[in-house]
Amino acid sequence: MKTTDIIRRAGRNLRQAKVRTLLTALAISVGAFTITLALAAGTGGKEYTDSLIENNGDARSLSVFAKNASTGEDSGPKKYGASEASQGLLGKKDVDRIKKTMGVESVTPMYSISATYVSGPSHTKYDANLTIKADQTHIPLAAGSLKNNQPRPGHVIVSDSYIEALGFTSTKEAIDKTIKLRIDKPQLYPGQPATGKNMKFTIEAVDKKSDRVLQYSKGIRVSAADGKAIYDYQNISGKDQYYGVTVRVKPNADPATVQAAIKKLDYEVFSLQDVQQVLFTFVNVVMGGAAGFGALAILASIFGIINTQYISVLERTQQIGLMKALGARRRDIGRLFRYEAAWVGFLGGIIGTGLALLVGLLNPAIADALNLEKGTDLLIFKPLYSIVLIIALVLVAVIAGYFPSRKAAKLDPIEALRTE
Amino acid sequence: MIEVNEVIKTYGKKKNLFTALDDVSFRIPDGQITAIVGKSGSGKSTLMHVMSGLDHASSGEVVVNGESLSKMKQRNIDRFRAHQMSFIFQSFFVQGNETCYDNVSLPLEIANVPRSRRQKMIKDALRAVELEDKIRSKAKDLSGGQKQRLAIARAIVGSPKILFADEPTGNLDSVTGEKIEKLLFDYARRNKATLIVVTHDSDLAGKCDREIHMKDGKLVKDAMKKPAKKTGVRK
Repeated sequence: MKTTDIIRRAGRNLRQAKVRTLLTALAISVGAFTITLALAAGTGGKEYTDSLIENNGDARSLSVFAKNASTGEDSGPKKYGASEASQGLLGKKDVDRIKKTMGVESVTPMYSISATYVSGPSHTKYDANLTIKADQTHIPLAAGSLKNNQPRPGHVIVSDSYIEALGFTSTKEAIDKTIKLRIDKPQLYPGQPATGKNMKFTIEAVDKKSDRVLQYSKGIRVSAADGKAIYDYQNISGKDQYYGVTVRVKPNADPATVQAAIKKLDYEVFSLQDVQQVLFTFVNVVMGGAAGFGALAILASIFGIINTQYISVLERTQQIGLMKALGARRRDIGRLFRYEAAWVGFLGGIIGTGLALLVGLLNPAIADALNLEKGTDLLIFKPLYSIVLIIALVLVAVIAGYFPSRKAAKLDPIEALRTE
Repeated sequence: MIEVNEVIKTYGKKKNLFTALDDVSFRIPDGQITAIVGKSGSGKSTLMHVMSGLDHASSGEVVVNGESLSKMKQRNIDRFRAHQMSFIFQSFFVQGNETCYDNVSLPLEIANVPRSRRQKMIKDALRAVELEDKIRSKAKDLSGGQKQRLAIARAIVGSPKILFADEPTGNLDSVTGEKIEKLLFDYARRNKATLIVVTHDSDLAGKCDREIHMKDGKLVKDAMKKPAKKTGVRK
């Protein structure tokens, strides 16, 4: 018999036992549903993690800090004078040492700077949280645009919450307008008259809060060059010290190798890859667990298929006998029953995947419940996964249908036709 | 030509040994309408199974058109049955949940007839049994007589040269039964096909060209009729 004819007959036979077919398929669909959702959640989780990483730092950046004597792995305090900086801080010597490490492109100190106030067209003075944007981490913008995610010298990025207070009507309107920053030298004793200067900056971009940025601080961000100038102005101790440096890894170097090399120099080094690794492991464990349950459900449904098909063979001995009498080969009969099982598997796969896709419609509700940014999809379905899953289910069903189909193929036509 | 040569068929072993066919020999030339007559347990059904290759003889051989069924591979016997033979059964064995079309299509599918050619063959077969208006009806909605006509359509759709009918009228009333007989006989005569009717109904057997009587597995009577008497079949 031709394969197409057998497939059509198999489909027709199943339609004649609709309820049974549907129930068996539903058993499989439970597994398909679980696995599809697990894969979708895994894909969505990974993409979300990726976007988290992208919004919180780039993979080529390493954060280097002084090893804290109390938390450091090596025992014993540091020798005095090994670093020019005070305990827990880094200095120029550290920068030079780190710069010499293979694969390091640049080392930018995390200068600590401050502004007394900020004012705009409204002439009202506001507290200003002044930071330096020296890394190339992506930041979500409300208006304006940036090159390399950094402001140009003489320019600043301002948080959107400042815009109205400073006297702008909209974030768009604020672009290319100037604001004034008051920079004062630190007071050496209480009551010392403030000495400082006013600096004018052009707003290059307006940034905004996003749930993808793990630690967002509202404020004014200046370029590395301006930051250095302000630091030098405010630094009255005479020596450079900062709580950490940002290391940028050369494009052709492996961040992990560089990280290990700097660690050897006795610093604490953190990279995004550490975080990414932890998050990915977590996502993978969750996904694997759910997919495992799905696989168990499919395993259980195999017995359902075997059982259904055995009953089907018993019910249809007469049909099998007739087919054999009419010259159908054992192979044809076996294939008929295997294809029926395949149909059941296919149906189960379609139902399961379809239901999972319906759950995917709840994406906005899920994002809402988890307080994620609008448009975040935690369930991402890849058509390839679904196709592979359905094919796999069809194969599993065919394997499950093997034993019943063999029984059918072996039936003695004379005995089968005697049954009435 | 079907040759049955010294066929013995036994079931079971030693104490439980049962001889269903005991040294049966005869020949049926092409186009002959033959009745195999006997009570239940006489071995007539077993004889039909052995002649059609559904069952194997314990000894002796069945030769159809010069080829010995007992020497053929199962695959070739299947092919032989698909292309040369067909069956009609007492309890019809039509698939109730399928349409008449699909019921008649089955032997063509088994014989690997291309789909493009099937439709005409199926329609012709259904027309021959006057069921062309039921082509899309489910077989379970048919009456007993219609079901047997459908079974005949299924049997003749592939134009087999040999047709086995196992008590074809056993489940039908006499009027319907006669209609079925006429259909079978007409097909056999028109196509010069060999028709073998297995029955215990002496009326039906009497309408055939030849009667082979079985009793306790033995051939007890082989009576040929004069061709002139065939007219009794026609109404």
